[in-house]
Amino acid sequence: MYPTSPLLHFAEDKLQVIALLFMATVYVLKIRWILRFPAGGDRQAPGNAALTDGPSGAKRSLFSIAMPWAMGSTRQHPFLYAQFVIFHLGVAASIAMSFVIPYAPQLVSGRTVIFSLQVLFIGAALVGVMRLIRRLSDVYLRAISSPDDYFSLALLIIWLVLSSLAAPNSRQTSETPLLAYFFMTAFFLVYVPFSKISHYIYYPFARWYLGRTLGHRGVYPLVKGA
Amino acid sequence: MALERSYKAQKVIDRLQQKVNRQILLSLAACAHCGMCTDQCHYVLANPGDPSYAPAYKADRIRKLFKAHIDWTGKAAPWWVGAKSIYTDQELEDLKDTVFGKCTNCRRCSFNCPMGVDMATFNRMARGLLVHVGVMPDGVSHVSKDQWELGNQMGILQEEFLETLNWMEEELQSEYNDPDIKIPIDQPDANIMYTINPREAKYDPRTIAEAAAIFHFAGENWTMTTDGWDMTNFGLFNGDDELGAAVSGRVYDTAERLHAKKIVMSECGHGYRSTRCEGPNWGKRTLGMPLESSIFTMLNYITDGRIKVDKNKNTEPVTYHDSCNLARSCGVTEEPRELLRLVATDFREMTPNRAENFCCTGGGGAMSMSEYAPRRLQSAKIKAEQLRATGARIVVTSCHNCVDGLYDLIRHYKLGMEVKLLVNLVASALVVPARVAEPAVAKPVAAKSLAGRKILVVDDEPDVRTYLRMIFKDEGAEVVEVPDANQAMRALKASKPDLMTLDLIMPHKTGEKLYWELRKDPNFADLPIVIVTGYARVETPAINFHAFIAEKGISEPEGFLEKPIQPEAVLDTVVKILEKKAGILN
Repeated sequence: MYPTSPLLHFAEDKLQVIALLFMATVYVLKIRWILRFPAGGDRQAPGNAALTDGPSGAKRSLFSIAMPWAMGSTRQHPFLYAQFVIFHLGVAASIAMSFVIPYAPQLVSGRTVIFSLQVLFIGAALVGVMRLIRRLSDVYLRAISSPDDYFSLALLIIWLVLSSLAAPNSRQTSETPLLAYFFMTAFFLVYVPFSKISHYIYYPFARWYLGRTLGHRGVYPLVKGA
Repeated sequence: MALERSYKAQKVIDRLQQKVNRQILLSLAACAHCGMCTDQCHYVLANPGDPSYAPAYKADRIRKLFKAHIDWTGKAAPWWVGAKSIYTDQELEDLKDTVFGKCTNCRRCSFNCPMGVDMATFNRMARGLLVHVGVMPDGVSHVSKDQWELGNQMGILQEEFLETLNWMEEELQSEYNDPDIKIPIDQPDANIMYTINPREAKYDPRTIAEAAAIFHFAGENWTMTTDGWDMTNFGLFNGDDELGAAVSGRVYDTAERLHAKKIVMSECGHGYRSTRCEGPNWGKRTLGMPLESSIFTMLNYITDGRIKVDKNKNTEPVTYHDSCNLARSCGVTEEPRELLRLVATDFREMTPNRAENFCCTGGGGAMSMSEYAPRRLQSAKIKAEQLRATGARIVVTSCHNCVDGLYDLIRHYKLGMEVKLLVNLVASALVVPARVAEPAVAKPVAAKSLAGRKILVVDDEPDVRTYLRMIFKDEGAEVVEVPDANQAMRALKASKPDLMTLDLIMPHKTGEKLYWELRKDPNFADLPIVIVTGYARVETPAINFHAFIAEKGISEPEGFLEKPIQPEAVLDTVVKILEKKAGILN
């Protein structure tokens, strides 16, 4: 093991824990806030009990994101769906790396692993740039974009680039990429609950309720047409 | 300096806080502004480059309000997350234009949102907020009022309704030469209580007769009712849960009072959804009897052998249009197809179809909002292309609302297709038992009273045009119809009709103005004109047509009919006018 400066040690350990605790606290409050609103019920008789029901519809709905063939919007735009997959894989990998580097660095020690991660991070960052260009140039997206939409995207692009620089974990050469990555991660963790990036916390709830209703009514899973 | 908020704007905000439930909250909060919904909306596809039609943009008009008053991020940093409150009545009008005029609540965007954001549901909620403070299109207001006051959305009086049923019963008995064919009314303990769309009683009563024939030949113990017979529900369209609960409650109460074993609803997408799915939630009731669409009933009659059909009686190519409410909100997609294949020989699938189908563009109450008709017809381009691509001659649907929407766009885009309901096809494919198949005595065929005549129908309401067309065509007339006064002028020059029926209240140019122009124009001064209007009474001074005529010093119209109009009255008036004119000429 190479010696680690107190600042980097703080950034990759205590700072992350504090930021994570903060994010978790905000999320707990957020979920409590969601649950404070009464849920609409379904008193009507089941729509097609022989084929489906509420729980089946909810399950289908939850996993529809992994089924690009299930929705016209993803079926008609495979390139956008591929972008979505790369971008979110990159983000997930970077989140995982923020735990792995301080607590299990041996998992990102091999050259192949590091190179693969860097390719993923750079790919995801490029997708982020493409998404930013699309958001700026597409008249429909521009019309619905708030400052938070642009800032969140820019933040993620920078974070993904820093992730690719931090992936080698070469603190013996320079701690700067790691410091930048961990400070950025901490900021990210604090900012996310207040930004559009927190859409993933709503995803399971929104999908579950929609799927449950449509499953109960016999709509989900959808029957494909000719 | 804080902006002062209008009374109505404050009421809308107060109401918003009461109406947001967990599902709506999640839909409002979860949007990631990814834009995947954009090209799934027929309004966007027909109006490329205009972001105000994009589902996420429209949803954001409501989301901004939610963020400003409910979501904590919007309270903390409104500008940053796009939160924006409303302050003026004009802003409410702008919101009305979006939630009523740019969305049919078809739910196609909801089905294509990766996040599961149900935009149609909170668009309906937003309509309800506006209705709560009286901000809504005039048509929505009139229909809602009728449904509150008279129990049906077309303001049909009970006497009128019973007369229509009686008329249809007589027609059936005559057609099948069978005095046993009845349309039972308020029969207790029936297996089926049959509920309908008031459009049937008012404009298309033959569908009631066809359903009655099917019930009769199936040997069904069924009944219609004097109350609670309207299963349509404007509460679904105007977002008013109280109206929704009251209207569906009337149907349930009547069924319970008569001890009906099942409620069967005629073909109507929103009616089925309202009565079958939403009504129990709005009224917080659990029903003790099943409810089904007549699609299922007819299909079961055929598969159980209770009625026989011959599909060779329907040989023209047909396609099927899935109603949004049936397919996307109630999962009814396969039974109509199964039924259609049993009663027609040449069924061609439309693409896309089922839950991915495009809206007829008349949904969400759009047919009652004449101010948005040009926008609706422009957005119908997508549906028109879809229909044209099937090569079918007939488009079948299971929704009266879709019938009107489709009929309007077919005429607008000159597709030359007919629109039919499944009940029309089942009835025409019926194999009638031998004892009643032929009338005992062949009836003399009466000469059609309008044979060889050409009539121009000018009315902005598609239902009224359909109704008049049906009456005149049945009597052999050639009918040309247009939805506004400007098109009427062109049609007059092009088709040279023998008579024109004219509505008074229409968008752009009123019927009064057209009437005055025609009476001054030597080319048309002698054209017989029958005014067909719902707003001619003296107690409506702004639209007092007789005062207008007197003031302008022009001649009275040859005929004057006030809505609601009965077919006999229309025919009687028109035939007499044309006979009189022929007599003068001869």
